[in-house]
Formats: sequence, structure tokens, C-alpha cells
Amino acid sequence: MKQVKLFLGPQHPGMHGNSSIHMYVEGDIIKRSYLLPGMLHRGFEKTMENRTWMNNIGIIPRICVPEPDPNEMVFASNVETLANIEVPERAHWIRMLILELARLAAHLMAFGGCGGPTGLYTAMYWAQADRDGILTLFEEITGQRIYHMYIVIGGVRKDLPKGIEKKILAYVDDLERRLPDYEDLLLNNPTIIARTKDQIMLPAEVVWELGVTGIGMRSSTGKAYDIRKVAPYARYDKVEFDVPTANYSDAYTRIRFKWLEMHQIIRIIRQVLVMMPEGKVREKGLDGNALRWQVPKGQVYTAIESSRGEFGYYTVSDGGINPYRVAVRGASFPQGLLGVERYLPGHRIDDAALWFDTMGICSPEIDR
Amino acid sequence: MNKHIESITQAVQAKFSVVAVTPVRDDQAALDVKPGELHAVLSFVKAQGFRQLSMLTCVDWIQDGEFQLVYLLFDWDKGVRLQVRTRIDRKHPTFTTVTNIYPGVQYYERDVHEFFGVEFEGNEMSFKQLFLENWDDIPPMRKDFNSKAYSDKKFPVREYHKDFSKEGDGK
Repeated sequence: MKQVKLFLGPQHPGMHGNSSIHMYVEGDIIKRSYLLPGMLHRGFEKTMENRTWMNNIGIIPRICVPEPDPNEMVFASNVETLANIEVPERAHWIRMLILELARLAAHLMAFGGCGGPTGLYTAMYWAQADRDGILTLFEEITGQRIYHMYIVIGGVRKDLPKGIEKKILAYVDDLERRLPDYEDLLLNNPTIIARTKDQIMLPAEVVWELGVTGIGMRSSTGKAYDIRKVAPYARYDKVEFDVPTANYSDAYTRIRFKWLEMHQIIRIIRQVLVMMPEGKVREKGLDGNALRWQVPKGQVYTAIESSRGEFGYYTVSDGGINPYRVAVRGASFPQGLLGVERYLPGHRIDDAALWFDTMGICSPEIDR
Repeated sequence: MNKHIESITQAVQAKFSVVAVTPVRDDQAALDVKPGELHAVLSFVKAQGFRQLSMLTCVDWIQDGEFQLVYLLFDWDKGVRLQVRTRIDRKHPTFTTVTNIYPGVQYYERDVHEFFGVEFEGNEMSFKQLFLENWDDIPPMRKDFNSKAYSDKKFPVREYHKDFSKEGDGK
């Protein structure tokens, strides 16, 4: 059969952001495929070298649009390690609250996003509507809906507004009450089961070969490989939560894991709101005007668990007022580039969008 | 440094002539090794449990005339992290690929080649362009690349005339 060259994306309802898959197909089977990134390349890493440490807080959230808060967290942690700043206790708990709300928003987007490539748009609308509730909470806490710039060097920018706890609890109660509806809509849906069960496999050896992390890794290795458990940051060692694991990673398992993790996020949020102490939320740490801060020399890497896996920054300081180098490790880099080249061929064209969705690909963090 | 990271750094020091060991934080240390020994060190620590290469990145130390390649490794069972670093000459930036040890590094090498101009022998893919289409200058993440000058050269300042749009001013 004749091979046909085909581009999936960047304009495609199932495509995740501004990148494209360049594929050669025979019939509807993909024979060769490559990711074409670069459409979103804005030179973040270079720009950061020309801006001061504090200025950079304004641009880092833009590296991953659906879940911007891990960027702020790893950048702040790196500087805190280099400058040896002790973060106040309350700030740790507020950071956890923000990170979990962001993870919930990102999971909702990805979970409902499975409706796009499968034609079940209801899921997408529901999830977007629920995500909007989180954005409203963010607006009240940080002043911004999408990019919060809230986790800063030394703690968080401001204390939580009065009465927000009640609103957060009301939101998570409401969402938890409706999670069974989501299960009925997506996970018990015969169409979705037929499309995803035993499809788009991710074996454990592929995970180790590529360096896949996050849900993909946990669903195929059967171990709780979650950085929140393996190397806890903030105060994740003080709260109780379970990490779903499995030894069989098909698309269905990975979608189901997002739903299971949403329950755990709600569990963490409830504990955080109870256990959060009163007190200061920000330690100044460095001397002088924030725009003239000089961070001591050093090279450090911090990674945290984002909704898609290990997300980290490698920061180098030469003692100046600008970072000497900041390198971003996007969680979807391995599966988005090498994964598409090696393991997407053999699938059908209509599986490509689902492959992208269940692997958790976010193209801005590949481009950065 | 906790006991896991201490034992691995001691094991590496006993076997190889490590240039320097820098503790970074409780669960992280940096090992500076000679370029010739890097592959052996990576194979050794991989066998000790550092099964994941999180990232390969590069730092341009223009004052020293060197590029520093940084391999970030993670041990998922013990939760400890290693930075294995080496320095290569900036004028002839050539190194050997590590795809035979960590296959997932392929696109990171391509990324470093594109943004720093370091060539990785043995990884043919790394010589192709990935992010920057039709790039026509020195690799952009080098310290001697000036983004402002490039932008001014590439996109000259446009001149706007007052009578640019006659229809639009309502007369």
C-alpha cells in the first residue's frame, strides 16, 4: 500500500497545544512518526538569563500553561537551596494547597480532554466547567486565574484571604459528590472502554528506556514512584494519601488513574486545611532590594511531581543578580519526542490523539 | 548528605579519579569527573540503582573557555539524585554519545547540540534541527549570542508614517 504523508496538528481538536506530529501512514496505520516542536519556542531559558531573579517569577509560569505552579515551586526551591533560606512553616502548607489545586485543575483538563479524541464532548464541557471553579478560587487567593506568580522565593506572596477555607471545602465537597458521575460518563462508558481497554500499551521496559515518569510510570511498574512519596518536598511527608499503582498500563488504566488521583488530591486538600498552622508566610532571606538580589554561587536541581510526572529546573548561579543558566526539565519531554518516534508507529491515526492525551503531553514545556 | 548519597559517592571515588564531590542538599550531590571517565561512571552508577536520566543539559562557562555537560540522574527506590558533570573544550565541542547507556538521552543530546553546538559522536540524530527552523546564527544559548542584536538584525525597525491609513482616521 502507498505511504501517505500526514500532519496531525497543530490545528486539531485532539492535539495538545502548538506542536504537530509528522507521520507517514499506510491505510490508517502509522508507519513512521516524528514530533515537530518549535512552534511555541519563546526562548524562555535565554530570556531568564537576562532578567533578575525576582523578574523571572513573571515569566516562569508561562512554561506550562495548564499547570503553571510547579514552575514557581521549583524555581523558588532552587533559589532557597542556593541562598539557604528557611521557608516559614505556614508557607509550606499554603504551597501544598496551591500545588494540589493546580494538580486537580490539570487532571480535570486531561481527564475531560479524553472526550476530545473520542468524540465525547460532554466530558470536556463538564471538566472545563469544574476547572473554572478552581480558577475562581485561584483568582481569590492570588489575583490571577491562570498564571498565579504566587509561590515566590522565601514563601508565598501573600497570606490566604479570610474565609477561603470554607469556599475551598465547599468546592471539593461538590466535586467529590459528582466524581461518580464522571466515572459513569467516561470510565463505565462502553464506547470509551472499547477505544481504550488494552489499547496504547506502555510496558515497564519502555518506561525505563525513555525515562517516562508520572502516571505512565506508576501504572506500568506497579510501584509508588511518586516524588511526593520517594523524596518528599514541602510537607508531603506529614499528610496521608495513597498512590494508585498497576502493572498493566493501557490507555484505560491511565485515564482511570487520573480519576483515582483526584480523590487523593481532595483528601490532601482537606488535611492541609486542618493541619495548616498560623504564622508568617514569607521570609525575606536575601539582602536589599528584591530587584538587586544576588544569589550565592552554586548549581542545583529540584524536581517535583507535577500532574504529568517529574518536573524540574536546573539552576546555576554565578553570584550575580541574574541567573547564569536555568534549564527546564519538562515532564513530557521523553514520551513527547522519543516516545512518538519509537512507540507511536503501529497505532492507528485516530489513536494518536488519545496516545498524546493519556501520556500527558504538554508542548510548551517541550519547547520552552 | 544522607547515607545513600554518601555510599554512592564513596563507591565512585574509590573506583574513579573524581575531580570533585560537592554536596548540594541532603539528597543530592554533584560529581565532577574527567571527560574520558564519564561513560564508565554513568554505567557504574546506573548499575547501582540510578536507572533514570532526568535530563542532560549544558552550561557555557565562557570565561573558562569550557562547556559543562550535566547529567542529572535519579534513583527512584532511594529517592536520591546525582549530578554527574564534566567539562569539555569550548573551541572544539565534541563528545561521545551516551545513548548506549541511557537511550532516552537521544533528544536531550539533540537539544544541547542545537542550543550550544556540542556535537555528540555516535548519535546521528543529534545533528538535525529540531526546535529552530532555518537557524542562521551561532547556537543561541551560548553566552556570546546576543538576542537583542540578533532581533534587531533580523527584524529591522519599521517606519510608520502619519498618513499610513487615510481611511482609518475618520476624515
